Amino acid sequence: MAMAEVNLEIDGQALRVPAGTTVLKAAERLGIVIPRFCFHPAFEPEGSCRMCLVEIEGLPKLDLACSTVAREGMKVRTATPRVLQARRDVLEFLLADHPLDCPICDKAGECFLQEYYGAHGRYPSAFLEVKEKRAKKVPLGKALLLDRERCVLCSRCVRFLRKVTKTGELGIFERGVRSEVGLDDGVEVGNNYSGNLVDICPVGAITDKDFRFKTRAWFLRNGRTVCPRCGRGCAIVVQSVCGYPLPGDLRKVYRIVPAENPAVNGYWICDRGRYAVRDIEEGREERIMVKAGGEAAAMPLTWDGAMKALAADIRGAAAAGRPPRLGVVLTSLLTNEELETARQVFVESLGVTAVHFADPAPGEADGLLLTSDRAPNRRGAEALGFAPRPPDLAALTGAVDVLLVFGPHLLERVPLEEAARAFAGIRRTWLFSARRSPLDGLADVVLPTVLSEEKAGSFTNVDGLRQRFEPALRRPQGCRPEGRILADLAAALGVKAD
Amino acid sequence: MTVPAATLLPLDAISFRLPSYISRGGYDAARRTLLSKKPGEVMEEVKRANLRGRGGAGFPAGSKWAFVPPEDGRPRYLCVNADEGEPGTFKDRAVMTRDPHLLLEGILIASYAVGVHTAFIYIRAEYEAVARRLETAVEEARAAGFLGLNVFGSGFDLDVLVHRGAGSYICGEETALLESIEGKKGWPRLRPPFPAAVGLFRAPTVINNVETIANVPLVFRDGAEAFASRGLPRDGGTRLFGVSGAVRKPGLYELPVGTPLRRIIDEWAGGPAEGQTIKAVCPGGLSAPFLTPDELDVAMDYESLARAGSMLGSAGIIDIGDRTPMIEVLRIVTRFYAHESCGQCTPCRIGTTWISKVVDRMAAGGGVGGDPALIRRLAEGMKGRTLCPMGDAAAFPVLSILAKFEKELLETVSK
Repeated sequence: MAMAEVNLEIDGQALRVPAGTTVLKAAERLGIVIPRFCFHPAFEPEGSCRMCLVEIEGLPKLDLACSTVAREGMKVRTATPRVLQARRDVLEFLLADHPLDCPICDKAGECFLQEYYGAHGRYPSAFLEVKEKRAKKVPLGKALLLDRERCVLCSRCVRFLRKVTKTGELGIFERGVRSEVGLDDGVEVGNNYSGNLVDICPVGAITDKDFRFKTRAWFLRNGRTVCPRCGRGCAIVVQSVCGYPLPGDLRKVYRIVPAENPAVNGYWICDRGRYAVRDIEEGREERIMVKAGGEAAAMPLTWDGAMKALAADIRGAAAAGRPPRLGVVLTSLLTNEELETARQVFVESLGVTAVHFADPAPGEADGLLLTSDRAPNRRGAEALGFAPRPPDLAALTGAVDVLLVFGPHLLERVPLEEAARAFAGIRRTWLFSARRSPLDGLADVVLPTVLSEEKAGSFTNVDGLRQRFEPALRRPQGCRPEGRILADLAAALGVKAD
Repeated sequence: MTVPAATLLPLDAISFRLPSYISRGGYDAARRTLLSKKPGEVMEEVKRANLRGRGGAGFPAGSKWAFVPPEDGRPRYLCVNADEGEPGTFKDRAVMTRDPHLLLEGILIASYAVGVHTAFIYIRAEYEAVARRLETAVEEARAAGFLGLNVFGSGFDLDVLVHRGAGSYICGEETALLESIEGKKGWPRLRPPFPAAVGLFRAPTVINNVETIANVPLVFRDGAEAFASRGLPRDGGTRLFGVSGAVRKPGLYELPVGTPLRRIIDEWAGGPAEGQTIKAVCPGGLSAPFLTPDELDVAMDYESLARAGSMLGSAGIIDIGDRTPMIEVLRIVTRFYAHESCGQCTPCRIGTTWISKVVDRMAAGGGVGGDPALIRRLAEGMKGRTLCPMGDAAAFPVLSILAKFEKELLETVSK
């Protein structure tokens, strides 16, 4: 059955929308963005900020664009003097009760109040009275701080916790101008989605201790990618500084925020993915490392030298006429493209029969976005014919002379002593890892690789959806993507790889 | 035709007890109605009586009931608004104190018409003694079989619950009232949906003022035509006019709808208080625009007052004497609305507060020449732009005082 549609006119432009579409959403189809504070597309219209009032022909009063449903023949005007006056008035009211501390506010540069004042305000202040004094640093739990002077009482935070996480930690208390956001029964926000409150706050009322006073929004470079911290594959934006030079040209990642993706995560990401921002910065190594005193100590510490030695090792382990004495441990943190190259090199060309996997240990799913699988591409590995299972290290010892391990997660699957025993019985172990881990001490050679945020590729999420991404960040200088390492290896070995 | 002034309000000391009410023919109208009329006929009769809402908006009661959608398996509710928060209004208290069974009989008939089996009386917290009296009346009616299961053997069941508010003006706004009964903060709801379709506990709900419902038994006791004939063609019955302020005999006067305001003040309320003249009159509870002495020859009905630029509202008449400075009136008005704004929507939350701060400064001698214009602009910024009618309620009296008494206000500023 065809969906019923209605015809309406907005600012003189005719359009047809599905029945039930609101005026605000219909206007967006024409590229007309009606200003709003309380409206958020994830929630039912609230109608409390009164910023989105528009003129509808035949109606005496201005009406809300966010909640008014388009009707056949409706004529809407979004920029008449009456509408513009109403917007100015709402802004003037909000600003009269606002501290105007933009110079020290984290939200400056991405604040609705600032943006709308620039677009619809621009008048001198008529407020001669004493401003309300309110608490400016109320801990709400986790990394959240509330500034009640900046709050415009749009109730987005309250509704998020009621509708999305269903934890309801926040409410609006008191009445009139004394109204304030606060903790319901004093129980702090403790859920795994707390960071979204900072994103949906249209002003700088809820800020994140992790980001507080660290930089300015306009210095940030946005890189969109897919979150690699569980099997969901949420769309994220990694924000790193770009606007002013850092000492020694250091890279600095400031924030991970959700990108909108209706097919996967809607508007949200979990705190586990968000605060992984530290994982990008901390525990990184840009140098090639070899075990002191070991046989490999003589190897030149350059990528060229390392790749030559690696190829030589593999050639030696894969002598013709017998099964290769080569062990490979991949990880579901690799992209589909990297896994495919690995399959071609190790399985097809070299004939390695047992390819193992070392994935992060599974955790608890939270019923919303976070999956129990903490690797981003398990489905992708399976689709390529791999069975992503940890290796039986005892069986590998003696069967292989050379072991290649991708990723730092092996010790999450096997005890340290067991791994140490096995590694000691293997002539040469090569570790390819983007992060420092206790595994580094066991391997003969550690080659620094890059995080998925720093590379291009694709992951296949828990629902089988394959999502491509481009580098969201410049990679650290000394690090190479596994895809390049595998391609170089294929070339050095003279084996076929796409 | 002269009408006895006490149709709604009996005067004897035990009028609130059930035997007294029965001795005056109480519950006969309900019994006859439930046993002989169909719900649709009851609605029609109320429409014919031209009974309009007594809470403030004046919506025809019969039409309001007819908005409830056809039976769909959901329960339906009747909520009687006994919040009576409008300053200058004290009529519902009198009905509930003196004749609570009249209200209960009205609830019975209205519930029967709409198909309600649970009715709430939402009463303001300050009316604790009245609430207790209502609860006693509910007990009496239940014991007599006028409430509960199978009322009068008609097969109709009805329970009535007395629900106390917690002291907020906004809970007299019908959707805030619903939120309050549901145990939530008294914040008005965004409409649509309207309560008739999605109301209390998301079920179809009728909300009527106490005085409206108390008039229902009279419609069925005397007949719709007789009831209608007491008032005006489109506005039937009598009204309880509360008169307060600078008059000799402040009090509650039951008079036909349409009685001229000047007659109520001069003939019934005894005229201006000793040594004073009337300077301003708020004719329908504090939210109604003020009138000046030369505007008092207006009939007290919805249409006439609307034409005069004011409104009948809750028919609470507040008389301001010439000894009261208008800046003081303005200060009390604006402080009230700033104090009672629920805080949900921007223009009301900040508009009322800002205006109140400006007026306080003016009253304290710190006014500047631009203040009246600023207040007018802020009030215009609230009017018609808020989530519930309170933005208008807060703007109307302020705008009328500015328009009609600007000269006096400017004198305050220049002093």
